[in-house]
Amino acid sequence: MPKLPNCVLLLLALSSLAAEASAEGLRAEPAQVTLDSPESSQQLLITDLDPRARQRDVTRDAVYRIAPKQIATIDERGLVRPLADGQAELSVEFQGQQLTVAISVVGFSKPRPVSFRHEIIPMLTKARCNSGGCHGKAEGQNGFRLSIFGYDPASDYHALVYESRGRRIAPACPDHSLLVLKATARSPHGGGQKVEPGGYGDRRLTRWIQEGAPFESADESQNKVERIIVHPADRVLFAGQRQQLQVTAIDASGRRYDVTAEAEYESNASSIAEADSHGLITVSDIPGEAAILVRFLGQVAVCRVTSPQPNVEFDRPPERGFIDRLVWDKLQRLGIEPSQEADDASFLRRVCLDTIGTLPTSDEVVGFLKDKRSDKRARLVDELLQRDEYVDYWTMKWLDILRADQLKISPQGTVAMQRWLRRAFTENRPFDQMARELLTVQGNTSAEGPGSFYKILSKPDQAAQAVSQLLLGVRIECAQCHHHPSERWSQADYVGLAGFFTGIKLKKLPNGEQAIVSRGGKDLPHPRHGEVVAARALGADPADFSRATDRRQILADWVTSNENPYFSRAIANRLWSHYFGRGLIEPIDDTRRTNPASNEPLMRALSKHMRDEKFDLREFTRTLLNSRVYQSSSRTTASNNRDRQNFSHAAYKTLPAEVLLDAISQSVGVPEEFNGWPSGYRAIQVWDNRMPSYFFRIFGRPVRASVCECERSDQPSIAQALHLLNSPEIAGKIEHRHGRARRLVNSDLSASEIIDQLFLSTVSRYPRKGERALMMEAFSNHGNDRRAAAEDVLWALMNSREFVFNH
Amino acid sequence: MFKVTIGNERVNCDGVSRRHAMRLGASGLIGGLTLPRLLEMHVKAATKVTPKAKSCIFLFLEGGPPHQDMWDPKPEAPAEIRGPFQAIQTNVPGTIVTDQLPLCSKIADKYTIVRSHSHRINGHTTGYHYVMTGRRPSFADGDNPVPNNEFYPSIGSVVSRELGPRGALPPYINLPHPMAAGGPGFYGAEHAPFVIEADPTQPDFEVKDLQPGGRKTKNRSSVRRKLLEGIDQFEKATNSGQAVAMSTYYEKALSLMTSPAAKRAFDIHAEPDSVRDAYGRTQVGQCALLARRLIEAGCRFVGVDAPGWDVHFNCFPSLRTDLIPYTDRAFSALVGDLEQRGMLDETLVIMMGEMGRTPRINARAGRDHWSMAQTIIFAGGGVKPGQVIGATDKHATAPTTTPVGVNDLLRTVSTLLGVDPDRVYYGPLGRPVPIVDGGKIIDGLI
Repeated sequence: MPKLPNCVLLLLALSSLAAEASAEGLRAEPAQVTLDSPESSQQLLITDLDPRARQRDVTRDAVYRIAPKQIATIDERGLVRPLADGQAELSVEFQGQQLTVAISVVGFSKPRPVSFRHEIIPMLTKARCNSGGCHGKAEGQNGFRLSIFGYDPASDYHALVYESRGRRIAPACPDHSLLVLKATARSPHGGGQKVEPGGYGDRRLTRWIQEGAPFESADESQNKVERIIVHPADRVLFAGQRQQLQVTAIDASGRRYDVTAEAEYESNASSIAEADSHGLITVSDIPGEAAILVRFLGQVAVCRVTSPQPNVEFDRPPERGFIDRLVWDKLQRLGIEPSQEADDASFLRRVCLDTIGTLPTSDEVVGFLKDKRSDKRARLVDELLQRDEYVDYWTMKWLDILRADQLKISPQGTVAMQRWLRRAFTENRPFDQMARELLTVQGNTSAEGPGSFYKILSKPDQAAQAVSQLLLGVRIECAQCHHHPSERWSQADYVGLAGFFTGIKLKKLPNGEQAIVSRGGKDLPHPRHGEVVAARALGADPADFSRATDRRQILADWVTSNENPYFSRAIANRLWSHYFGRGLIEPIDDTRRTNPASNEPLMRALSKHMRDEKFDLREFTRTLLNSRVYQSSSRTTASNNRDRQNFSHAAYKTLPAEVLLDAISQSVGVPEEFNGWPSGYRAIQVWDNRMPSYFFRIFGRPVRASVCECERSDQPSIAQALHLLNSPEIAGKIEHRHGRARRLVNSDLSASEIIDQLFLSTVSRYPRKGERALMMEAFSNHGNDRRAAAEDVLWALMNSREFVFNH
Repeated sequence: MFKVTIGNERVNCDGVSRRHAMRLGASGLIGGLTLPRLLEMHVKAATKVTPKAKSCIFLFLEGGPPHQDMWDPKPEAPAEIRGPFQAIQTNVPGTIVTDQLPLCSKIADKYTIVRSHSHRINGHTTGYHYVMTGRRPSFADGDNPVPNNEFYPSIGSVVSRELGPRGALPPYINLPHPMAAGGPGFYGAEHAPFVIEADPTQPDFEVKDLQPGGRKTKNRSSVRRKLLEGIDQFEKATNSGQAVAMSTYYEKALSLMTSPAAKRAFDIHAEPDSVRDAYGRTQVGQCALLARRLIEAGCRFVGVDAPGWDVHFNCFPSLRTDLIPYTDRAFSALVGDLEQRGMLDETLVIMMGEMGRTPRINARAGRDHWSMAQTIIFAGGGVKPGQVIGATDKHATAPTTTPVGVNDLLRTVSTLLGVDPDRVYYGPLGRPVPIVDGGKIIDGLI
């Protein structure tokens, strides 16, 4: 590449600065446009500075005129493209206001050579040629393979220029190169037309081949793109408003150039704000926040969009602690009104199902409703956290997460892990200690402890992935094969982390059982170039193993240290997600800069609270449950009924299969019998995840194949509904001769009292007036058959939405 | 008239269907549509297949049917390879099958035999998984409880997701029990098969949970329905649409229960005895018949699991007396019936297993696992019938021409059904998972 004259660099640098003085009430960014190659472009941003317009983006509404016309052109999106070398003036007009922008085109007739690394790779990425569904997958597509997202330009270069006997480019006739013909679909292409024929991309590809298809020039290899800036970086937009983004790349030499047309855009909440491939954000009428991820040449940047609801006034509900304060702050900013506080019955049902995975009994409901003490909710929370079912439920939940699949880790291994979890939750072992035990466990996997975890994660990279996702909330596994597409993690970070698990061995014991032994270990080679990468934690320096016998101890120190930026966040977010139906960071184990928490101050405060409480999970849970936010009603208001991420009202949650089965058994008053288990065992106590059960099969019990909580399906199926509505199993319970319906019918309770009891034991409340009248119809319809009437009421209640959801 | 809406037509990547392009060209109404542009679109359109099939019946011969004893006879081979069955001519000159397939041999012009399918996964659960998902199994072969596709969706779930229901029936149904590898993987329960766990040969055959269980009393159903609707109405009045949105499946279940069309479809007893006899009063026969009824009523993908083909020991008596004749009858009746009803063109029928069987008969007079050579039978749904595609060597050990892999099969099936095989969904970890991973359309089949 011929070195750019310094003055051009200076111009480029200047051009990105804003010019506000040039026109009253209108701003153009940049104030001067410099285009330095035939296919370059500059996105203009025109902002209306009128205070009432609140910095409205009018880029697509302004009228543009370029003189002289033959120098450059501008489209309706405000993207300037060069036509010939020279100077021109762009005049911008919007509602009577005007300003001018100088355009300078250089290097058009004698352009510097196209850079494969900086100009071709981003094109292939943006056109998704190198995506995982196409040529980017491991085996490529139809014999042509590219590195995914272009993380390995050298191998892509080789694939394009040398592989297949060099048939992909034709230097003698560049525009007949297979690459160009396929990309423009002039030759049949399975992926369709990816580059517009005759357009800028087509011309760039052709020119690159014309110039001899070089990889890169010498000085370019030092001037890699170091970062990208997105402008604006955050923006408040009201429903229906749009905002054009402008993306600038900065390389090692300090050169800045516009890449708006070449970057990729992705929203983390597309129901709130979406960005198209030109970087134009459109906001829907759902209030909330979204992050627009911008990606270019492996660099990422984020634009945060806040979309408030105008004209919503409300009184802040009382604050019981930092959670309430931070949530109300956020809701106020967004113009979303929080729901009323839930009534006692709703709160009781919710907190029982959430905390102990168990429906309250009718006696508990009546007792709680009668209780007149003002602190009865806090007392209830305290009681629940001491209940045996708390231990049962959270043990089950962690058996899922720790992949205790008895088929893979043996029944003994599952029981060993279950006993370890039961003891930990019973004595409320601090979570950092649990994590340390999980990380450093050794010895017989059938002995109480989490040793079996390493039975399925016997390879260092598997263990690294699982531990990272589980304890840090970081999904590192993308970096196994390529640079993480939306984080800074590279393959070196990946093998660096895996290096902690290289000392683990599964040893066979004389009695046929297995033991985890961990000592020694070695650093692993980089998967691409084979150089050894020193073991290191994510973002940390290479680890010092001089005083450790087990490499994992050093990792455990790092994970559980107070300075670790991920650990307390991950567990706090996991618990929050369980109780509130959605993580602050969502998905809960996908922490990255490009996936910010929906309420970052709250996320920080919860993470700090977790550390302040010394990872006492009961204490932390108590704080969550006693907040007014948790105790909000699930009834929505006009301003919050579409809010899904700001906790303005309680969420509807599906019941896990085991909890639902227990709830059904308890409501009908007939315990479920599990084959091979003593009578009276409840589903949440059963460790055997492979126990054959039609109910569990259709309601989606996790197969425990990953550490992801996403294994629990929350999409109900027809078979589930049919089972509850019609199955002989459920009917048998409803009609059981020792069941609740029969007992009530055989008592001397009146029809109305029976209805009360059935409501209390299913939906955990008394019937409303209309409901009672409706249910009485069953009794009048069936004449003297009280039994049929009671069974019908129970059936209807158990199939109601109110019963099958937690709300 | 010039038709402008293209909503119902299958559209290519550039948004113009081939037929539409032709129409535009003929009408010449749209400015800017130059001849080169038209030719260009033509070229692009030619690379796509216009899908005809609206649904698929997938007959899975679980255990691994012996290809050389059925569709790929080797009359010249020595007896320990050839086996006891004779080759016979079919009604397509030059195409031979064994004498155990008399019925199918008379309609060889209605289906196509692909003799060159092979892969290298020689276990039952693993091979089954590979065939149904197109992904190499990451687990060891063995007696894995269902489902064994924990991550990757089966082709049935793909079709369910992509094509969706037509009418009250669920889009994806398995019979007579869940297909081991037929699950939805990360697509979730919504795309799981609706399983009819009952044997349609039984006189008391009925679909589980479709009719109210328990004690029958007067007006019970109507009373219950009224109570349930009443409660949900109250709940709706006091709550947001959240629960309603989450429970559309409930409405689907209710419509399935109450839909006369669905009820008719499941009622195999309504079929005339002559038709039931034609399919054979066997499990595979009655399942094939029920599959036709389900397709007729709008189901998209019916997976029939026909087990019993793992014939390691003394295999020829059972092949001769039940396995092959039952299948011969079921398949020929199904194809004939579909054709008679004018449904064959839009119904793709596939019959295959997870593997073939060893060329040499073993010491216990059986044949063992052999995934290197298998035969797949295709009928209807836009498949060019009456052909033999691919061949194996003289001992039926391995393909010699037109080798076909699992992904070729799945790409072909998707394409025939109008499912874009390259569509990408993102797994739970955000990784892209294309519907079919590579592969190409089987040469000459379409």
